[in-house]
Amino acid sequence: MSAGPGGREPDPAAVSGAAAPPAPGGDQQETAVRLRQRIQRQFGRSLHIRTLDTGSCAVCEQEIRLLAAPHYDLHRLGFFFTPAPRHADLLMVTGPMIRAFDVAVRKTYQAMPGPKLVVATGACALGGIYRADAFVHGSADAVLPVDVWIPGCPPSPLALLQGLLVAVDRLSEKVAGLGFTAGPPGVPAAGHAAPAEGTSR
Amino acid sequence: MPLWFARGIRRGIVTTHYPARPERSAAGLPTPPAFRAASIDAALADRLTAVCPSQALHRDGAALIFDVGRCTACGRCQEAAPWAVTPSGEFELAATSRAHLVKQIRLAAGEDR
Repeated sequence: MSAGPGGREPDPAAVSGAAAPPAPGGDQQETAVRLRQRIQRQFGRSLHIRTLDTGSCAVCEQEIRLLAAPHYDLHRLGFFFTPAPRHADLLMVTGPMIRAFDVAVRKTYQAMPGPKLVVATGACALGGIYRADAFVHGSADAVLPVDVWIPGCPPSPLALLQGLLVAVDRLSEKVAGLGFTAGPPGVPAAGHAAPAEGTSR
Repeated sequence: MPLWFARGIRRGIVTTHYPARPERSAAGLPTPPAFRAASIDAALADRLTAVCPSQALHRDGAALIFDVGRCTACGRCQEAAPWAVTPSGEFELAATSRAHLVKQIRLAAGEDR
């Protein structure tokens, strides 16, 4: 995880109100991985999403809203939007984390029951558009412990869908293996020509 | 969109089969660029860096560092150097670690200046 741009900002542990856990040993690591898999299996059947706009231009929200449209129909995959953070398993954060929202972000995150996931959505939340300054933190991971990052300005509903499926481990992450290099003209780049492989369960 | 509409009229189902099967309408999405490293030298890398409005590019010696997370797929780098930059066609970009989104493109023609 890269360090957040806001150097003097609270770390994720301060936001969640919990002390940082001790560094896990081999046995604990294994237990943590098993626990994580179990949580993701549970979330894979039914996941309630709360969206949080921290100063975005609202286009990310438009795309998130499109997920419920008939063409994408995210309910068929067991994802639901909830109006209350107390019912939410996953927090979708959009926008560059304006500092005026610090209290709202903290209250929202603390109100969610654990285990919980945080998805940073859109280029703003990933530190793309705004640098950290007196008004914005600049990226979501300066304030919240982010689990999944979804790039895009705005991310298309398909990209959001893939991000949610990655968050619950129903799709494997694809971007780590891509190089974003192209071959000579006329030759498609390796890894970019093949159609998307679905491994949904 | 017209494709969905026609399919919906024909079969009564408009919903995508996305995770199980590839979605064809994804081909029309704006996607982050892919770089043709052989045709990029240090000067062009600096020009692409200057043209990027969201600080997604910077040059580190003989490598162009591309932060996919910061890219807004605006297409300005493709406009600046269409022979060296092409759309990647990649929309499945979700990452479980921020570091997975930072790509290092080794410039074949790039020497440290």
